[in-house]
Amino acid sequence: MSSHGVRPGTGLPPAGSASYIATDDQPERRRTALNTETSGQGSEASAAQLRRLADRIRLRAVQMVAPQGLGYLGQALSAAEQYAAVYGAALRPGTDRVVCSPGHYVLAAYAAAAETGLIDQALLASYGQDGSSLAAIGTEHGPVPDYTCGSLGQGLSAAAGFALADRLRGRPGGRTFAFLSDGELQEGQVWEAAMFAGHYRLSRLTVLLDANNSQVDGPVDGITTIEPIAAKWQAFGWDAADLDGHDAAGIAAALAAAAGAARPAVLICRTSTRHGLDCLPPDADGHFIKLPPGLADAAVAELTARLDRHAR
Amino acid sequence: MPGDRGVGGPAAPVLPAPYRTVLKPYGRALTGLARSRPDIVCLSGDLTRQCEIDLFQAEFPDRFIHAGMAEANMIGVAGALARSGLIPFVHTFGVFATRRPLDQIVNAVAYPGLPVRIVGFMPGVSSPGGPSHQAIEDVALMRALPGMTVLDVADATETAQAVAAIADLPGPAYLRLKRGEIPVIFPADHPFSLTRAQLLGDEPAAGGTGAALVASGMMVAPALAAASVLRGSGVRVTVLNVPVIKPLDTATVLAAAAGAQVVITAENHSVIGGLGSAVAEAMAEAGLGRPLRRIGLADTFADGALSAPYLFARYGLTTQHVIDAAWAGLSQPGPPPRAPSPALRPGDYAPV
Repeated sequence: MSSHGVRPGTGLPPAGSASYIATDDQPERRRTALNTETSGQGSEASAAQLRRLADRIRLRAVQMVAPQGLGYLGQALSAAEQYAAVYGAALRPGTDRVVCSPGHYVLAAYAAAAETGLIDQALLASYGQDGSSLAAIGTEHGPVPDYTCGSLGQGLSAAAGFALADRLRGRPGGRTFAFLSDGELQEGQVWEAAMFAGHYRLSRLTVLLDANNSQVDGPVDGITTIEPIAAKWQAFGWDAADLDGHDAAGIAAALAAAAGAARPAVLICRTSTRHGLDCLPPDADGHFIKLPPGLADAAVAELTARLDRHAR
Repeated sequence: MPGDRGVGGPAAPVLPAPYRTVLKPYGRALTGLARSRPDIVCLSGDLTRQCEIDLFQAEFPDRFIHAGMAEANMIGVAGALARSGLIPFVHTFGVFATRRPLDQIVNAVAYPGLPVRIVGFMPGVSSPGGPSHQAIEDVALMRALPGMTVLDVADATETAQAVAAIADLPGPAYLRLKRGEIPVIFPADHPFSLTRAQLLGDEPAAGGTGAALVASGMMVAPALAAASVLRGSGVRVTVLNVPVIKPLDTATVLAAAAGAQVVITAENHSVIGGLGSAVAEAMAEAGLGRPLRRIGLADTFADGALSAPYLFARYGLTTQHVIDAAWAGLSQPGPPPRAPSPALRPGDYAPV
């Protein structure tokens, strides 16, 4: 990767230059016409507000999973602060794009979108039910995000495509936020996409990597060694930051910093699939948490009490 | 159906064999289309010249994207470009365009129904590069995907017409293209259609035919050559060109089959899952009982060789194989007539 200002071999105009491609007469295939009236717009949210939003996402996730008695709750628990930071402090609906690469996390996107006014909160009650557009593993029919896929490791390619499309279509202001999980780093396509985004210097692309050290067969580090994560991304031409993934304000600050970067950025968010729910048993399976009625009630009570406490 | 030419329309004329050849008809067609279509973007998987898109790259460098040898990512990027209102044409060899990124095509292109055009060069045994380079099941793979339009065109004329025709399809398309010197079998006013197969040549259908030859892609030329030989031996033959294998023009296929005593399909592809399977399905579902012979790779890989003609001969894809199948299917007496071996001038094309 050359370090000088031009982009060798890309054949693409510099970001911000007039694009060859017309922009106004071609319809965007947005999956949703996002409501631009949202409490999440801009970066005015305080640390307390973001912390509260993360717990609201957790509460919504518990309520979505509870009717089934089990589900992808651990994903929402580990990623709640990441979704809170994006939806609550960075995302400009209609301008920016959101990719949820591991479709199993999509309940966090549903919850964050509902909490920030992008989708009807009543929709969440249909999560995972027969005939619902809110599938437990995200599909094309969901109201958010712009892209998700249950076949893991594919989201970063889509995110790179969105960022490239913004450049080709002369929309340099748009950002693409891509939620990835650490287990996905085992998929080769992630690294194809990382190399592609690094080469094209897709600086408007920011990855939030949920490093919860959890996958179906157990802890990620017991199955393959993916460390050193930051060094890998840096070697592919990315800016990389290692963060406490349960510090929403810290993630929001890193998102703001990444907006001005010259290269794509990855925020490696160190998390736990049990974070924020003390009532969960210590051996809860992070990939697919059992949530029988009694435990669901305890979880709702714990989160409600904390939200009430922080509201005061 | 004596005298019935309603289905499929009048027979489309073909030029006399051997056929002259041209270079880069696809690259010229795509580049020409891009002049009036700023939404077309071009992706290459490290096979730019081989896929004729060096022409596009030279004229539209701002819309040309090197994806490198990373087909999974290339398909994923193309899906997002299409989602953003662009029309991506994705290029590599057929093997790397379909079998390698199949899951990505399913999830990033076919399931969302996005207008990505996947262009796979070097079909079937046209490559002597061995099974790694021979797309013998690409049609089967793409045909199995909901909403995917699948094309296997026969010549330079159809190639150019297909590029224009698929540009505005709302959903995805897979276009399978011969590499290198491309024959010109059809005149410029050839009635290419995404919805209609065409009867070829001037054989009248009145009174029915002995054999219906149903062919696509590189097997259209052998089918035409076989038809000429068979007619010379008194066999009535219909040749049906099926450049669009999905959606199949079932009505025209069934009409051709109904008027024949035996149906021969011919494809440069495995006999499993491609044109032969599609025709068999259509006939069976219509309750149309006719003997069916499928010319194609008989559930086998084709090992490497120096030349494609060797492979066409070894694996049963020659004009003679089509003749033999029709002759046997019709229980004709005596040995089948022999296919000619025309003397070719440089640059001319005749099937093996």
